[in-house]
Amino acid sequence: MNIQKSDHNSPVLSALNDPAIVRYRHWRMLKDKITRHAMTVGGISVIFAILLIFFYLLYVVFPLLVPASMQQSGQFVMPAGDAGKTLHIATEEKSQIAVRFTDQGRTIFFKTKDGSVIANHPLPLPTGVKITSFASSDASSRVVAFGLSDGKVLVVRHSYEITYPKDEAVITPRLEYPLGETPIVIDEKGNAVLQLALQIGEKANTLIAVTADHRLVIAGLIKQVSFIDESVTTEKTGGELALDPKDELSHLLLDKEQQTLYAVDSTGQLWHLDVADKTKPHVIEKLPVVEKGNKVTSLVFLASDISLLVGDNQGRITQWFPVRNKNNLMLLSKVREFHDQTAPITAIAVEERRKGFAAADNTGTVGIYHATAQRTLLVESVAKSSIAQLTMSPRADHMLAEDDKGQVHVMEVKNRHPEVSWASLWGKVWYESYPEPAYIWQSSSASNDFEPKFSLTPLAFGTFKAAFYAMLIAVPLSILGAVYTAYFMSSRMRRIVKPSIEVMEALPTVILGFLAGLWLAPVVELNLPGVFMLFLFMPLGTLTFAYVWKNLPESITYRVPEGWQAALLIPCILFCAWLAFFLSPHIEGWFFGGDMRHWLTHELGIGFDQRNALVVGIAMGLAVIPNIFSIAEDAIFSVPKHLTVGSLALGATPWQTMIRVVLLTASPGIFSALMIGMGRAVGETMIVLMATGNTPVLDFSIFQGLRTLSANIAVEMPESELHSTHYRVLFLAGFVLFMFTFFFNTLAEIIRQRLRRKYSSL
Amino acid sequence: MTQSNVLTHSIDMNSLGRNESTLNLSNESICVEVKDLNLYYGNHKQALHNVNMLIPEKRVTAYIGPSGCGKSTLLRCFNRMNDLVDGVKIDGQILIDGSNIYDPGVNVADLRRRVGMVFQKPNPFPKSIYENVAYGLRLQGINNRRILDEVVEKSLRGAALWEEVKDRLHDNALGMSGGQQQRLVIARAIAIEPEILLLDEPASALDPISTLKIEELIHELKSDYTIVIVTHNMQQAARVSDYTAFMYLGELIEFGDTSTLFTNPTKKQTEDYITGRYG
Repeated sequence: MNIQKSDHNSPVLSALNDPAIVRYRHWRMLKDKITRHAMTVGGISVIFAILLIFFYLLYVVFPLLVPASMQQSGQFVMPAGDAGKTLHIATEEKSQIAVRFTDQGRTIFFKTKDGSVIANHPLPLPTGVKITSFASSDASSRVVAFGLSDGKVLVVRHSYEITYPKDEAVITPRLEYPLGETPIVIDEKGNAVLQLALQIGEKANTLIAVTADHRLVIAGLIKQVSFIDESVTTEKTGGELALDPKDELSHLLLDKEQQTLYAVDSTGQLWHLDVADKTKPHVIEKLPVVEKGNKVTSLVFLASDISLLVGDNQGRITQWFPVRNKNNLMLLSKVREFHDQTAPITAIAVEERRKGFAAADNTGTVGIYHATAQRTLLVESVAKSSIAQLTMSPRADHMLAEDDKGQVHVMEVKNRHPEVSWASLWGKVWYESYPEPAYIWQSSSASNDFEPKFSLTPLAFGTFKAAFYAMLIAVPLSILGAVYTAYFMSSRMRRIVKPSIEVMEALPTVILGFLAGLWLAPVVELNLPGVFMLFLFMPLGTLTFAYVWKNLPESITYRVPEGWQAALLIPCILFCAWLAFFLSPHIEGWFFGGDMRHWLTHELGIGFDQRNALVVGIAMGLAVIPNIFSIAEDAIFSVPKHLTVGSLALGATPWQTMIRVVLLTASPGIFSALMIGMGRAVGETMIVLMATGNTPVLDFSIFQGLRTLSANIAVEMPESELHSTHYRVLFLAGFVLFMFTFFFNTLAEIIRQRLRRKYSSL
Repeated sequence: MTQSNVLTHSIDMNSLGRNESTLNLSNESICVEVKDLNLYYGNHKQALHNVNMLIPEKRVTAYIGPSGCGKSTLLRCFNRMNDLVDGVKIDGQILIDGSNIYDPGVNVADLRRRVGMVFQKPNPFPKSIYENVAYGLRLQGINNRRILDEVVEKSLRGAALWEEVKDRLHDNALGMSGGQQQRLVIARAIAIEPEILLLDEPASALDPISTLKIEELIHELKSDYTIVIVTHNMQQAARVSDYTAFMYLGELIEFGDTSTLFTNPTKKQTEDYITGRYG
């Protein structure tokens, strides 16, 4: 690569043509090229990595959005069809075997694959006695009961044993009699049992019957284990309630706690009875649960026996549960309504482990619903005629429907995440046993009966609340500090101050969080008036000091070099802090009756958490200050000197110059500093995790705790079951956080670009 | 304009220090009087040595001299811009309208309103053209739209810029050319009606046509303002100024009316400089 022919003996030109120099130039070009490509690759990889995170989050979240589906996996003629009319069907855990109880006292176990009969047991009924009623306990107990014409009740449990004889799971169905093979006498007078409800518990069992002579009879059986020989005796208590013959109570339902009984009378009124005391049952309320002229066609408990589902002959399903009213009475309230089917509801099958259910109507259509999320997931035709019996498998992945033509339809259900809907994530939801709809995050608890509450609203709110209080403390301090450091401070002092503050950025947030939670929170709690006085004393003390300093004789002020006056503030601020904390107990004594916390709670009605937004604001504010300070200081410092000088030369005071020229010109930089601080505050995890108490409450009070999206992920991810709804909702929270930062960064960048176009000086 | 000292006697030559000047300012009113001015950067470096001079009112006075001779430093003494430089110490006096601007208790912001300054590099603020010109007035608390409109137009006309920018007064000033920006800065400076206008090499960063415009402008402004200009360019000094001072190594070597100084300098150093021996 000769640059030019060396016509004459120029040392430079001959050197340029030297092979080593030519090689060097080649190498130089190559380096340039490599660097350019490396930077392109680096830039694209960053974008690619972010996109990858984005798509991975979406990939995990996506199943939440997949609609439910249902597919028929088998259809066959009812097994042992000659054994009578079906009273009840149920399946075992794996949905391989189902059981059918008939009104002729037969129990038929059959395979759900093809309907082949595995076993057909007769119940041990005395001769001449007929089955007059039937009831099932809650689904997970697998207990059913038959009411007999002689006033007795036979209680049966279907259970399944899994053995592995040839390394292959073999399920053997069995019938058990938890209260013995002989029917139990419930009505001493021997009247036929027309309606029946029961719950079989570990210690207490309750049977409730409506007899042919219009009485509501209750029998409580309590097992007593003797201390001496551990023999079991059963103590029987009982009571009864006389009924009007016109009532014709039906659909008896007893809750798991064996405290509350529901029933429907002939006029469509729902009876709500207290049966806690088995000897004195009494009616709490009777209320119409369907519109006038409509009939209740189905009444079941939602899983955990708190909510009632009422199906009527218009295809409407309503959910009810007891809500405490003003007089402290638990009365039924209508919570929500589904009306996506139009024919009379014939059967409702509830899921065992979730707040979902399926409803069948007399046109053969089945709808799948979720109560909490208020979602109708699916409405599909399953059979051509009315469906008489419907059951959902324990895992809610199969459904058995029996139509009135004697056909059994086995449906495979794919309904992984019914709990999540836009309304349940962001809206107010009326959860079981809550007095009113609310925003709640409460993803899991010890009990299986628990209704998961997945509202992201309190978490998003907590995120912004924490960021707000942190910014409230960080912004004035860091911006004012940056202005002073960049514009007024002597350059020697600035060389000490700026790196010191920037080093604070390297402080691990876990240490800040730890100090905030374990040291600062109790200190703030004990010196509450002091902390608030500090916020007042600090600016006032600084201003007073500045005023005094200005009025001191020059002989004193002259000793402090220009730009070092800030150093004198250090003792002033320390004094203010000491004064605030010194006065704290006195102020508390004079104005707040000795305990400000107590005063807040009892005089003002403001709740106080030890780990609250104030503590987070201080701790996270401290973490954010270096970020904001550093960038804002750079922006202010890099305002060209010729602008400030130009302004001063026009007769501006330094203050006017600062406000009208320096801050204006530095505004894009200051704005980015604020947004970066905000971004850090929103995404910060360790400090909020350790100092907020992690209470997902929707309360803006500075004395209340909070839970942020990020802390929520950190707290719950380790305990969430892989691929569960909870797990995916946590990813969704991460996705939301990602979108927040993405949105705010984009917005900030747009605003910053506009500011820069307008105010940049070069 | 405020009243100024009208010298009724010829200048006492001794008060001009070593300068043997043929200068006769007896027909001029005197605006600025510099008395025994010494300026030190830090403790050791002395930038100005015992400067004494008189600056006549409503005339253009130019400072020439090689780089680093202290002419800009001296100029910045007139509105105390040197105060902004760390470690500057000044002794001596500068009297403007008879009072010493270095007296304690002098309001520097007021002084700078009275003594306007234009810098070498155009330095418009990142605001609209209108707001740039109105800036000085707003600083003084004048926000009346009518007054501002009037002053902005008058100042832009005064700076020979009005015709070029009257349709885009609210555009950002940074979109203007360098020459326009410099005239805008002059308009901004004259909007607050100073008595004295200090120009620190105002055309050195500009192209020849813009330079010409600035020079014409200086000529026109002379009737209203006392103008003190520092320039590197001797031809420029010869073209625009009435009086010229030559400085060298922090000393005022010679001060005279421009035609005399350029055609018949009394000092050898001056002659060497204007004939191009150094500089």
